[in-house]
Amino acid sequence: MSVRVKVRNAETGSTVDMELEEENTVQEIIEGAAGYWEKDAGAYVLRKGKKLLRGQQTVLDAGIGNSDDLELIPDPEGG
Amino acid sequence: MNRPIRPGESDEDRMERSRRVGWIELDRLRESRALVIGAGALGNEVVKNLVLSGFEDIVIVDMDRVVHSNLNRCLFFRKEDAECRSFKAEVLADRAKSMNPACKVRGIVAKVQDLDEGLFRQSDIALGCLDNIAARLHVNAHCCHHRRPLVDGGTLSTSGKVQVVMPPHGPCLQCSMNRTHYRALERRYSCTGSDTVFFEPRLAAEITTTSVIAAIQVREAIKILSGKGDSCLHHLLHYNGLTNQVLELEVPLDPECPLHGASRSGEG
Repeated sequence: MSVRVKVRNAETGSTVDMELEEENTVQEIIEGAAGYWEKDAGAYVLRKGKKLLRGQQTVLDAGIGNSDDLELIPDPEGG
Repeated sequence: MNRPIRPGESDEDRMERSRRVGWIELDRLRESRALVIGAGALGNEVVKNLVLSGFEDIVIVDMDRVVHSNLNRCLFFRKEDAECRSFKAEVLADRAKSMNPACKVRGIVAKVQDLDEGLFRQSDIALGCLDNIAARLHVNAHCCHHRRPLVDGGTLSTSGKVQVVMPPHGPCLQCSMNRTHYRALERRYSCTGSDTVFFEPRLAAEITTTSVIAAIQVREAIKILSGKGDSCLHHLLHYNGLTNQVLELEVPLDPECPLHGASRSGEG
């Protein structure tokens, strides 16, 4: 079963709708959204509410459901 | 009989105002060894905050030299340091000592991967002020192995993060990483034939974000050492300086993370 979610770009505030299958992983969502916004090749994380989602988790494992709002955040790497 | 007091006596005590906070264990801070890994912008701010907070035993590690582009956000570096290509760890250690001569501050010029294992064991807390994923993973692994608290900071333009790792409990830095981190890591070390090319991207950075993140790092270190671990960050704090939004994000413990198995194996 597929679900439709909204992914928000934390840097710009823009959003994109994504259609996902249960077996899609969080890292696939991250890479898909980062690719869509042609982001720099850096590290990113995805959050759902106050939870950071683990890369290997599937949509099903992460409890991602229809109409969920997710946010793509660049992981600050500099010091 | 109590020692008689003198007018103005409290002004002679450099930590008098800190004592008034009440819960800060100043003796504990003074006796603790803080290991600061990275002497860039975050390292400068963190060391400044540590010295002012009453830490007197600080070890600073960095392999790099001062360059002019450091001068927009590194309190202790001067133009002359960049011209002489001085080592960051040595300059920072010297300038920190000048803030409080009672401080024992040692600068070690080395790659974090080449550090003596004992350095982690002999430290009470580590503060990660690094600029790359490989070094973060290395420090994280050593802190988990030796069960030393790690307060890691990171910045990118006007955003930043702080993550507190309290081995053997809770998630570590590796738990919060995914494939994009490892791809970034691979890009840093791309092997071309017999040579390994180290590619260091120039990340946007400015002092106000650095100051915020370093302040949170040191405050978390003070809490941990003062026995206030319960009120510490338990997960990852993300700061967006453009919107002034601060989020505490829950990091799930990764059951596949090798470090948790390693730190649990030592439990009695």
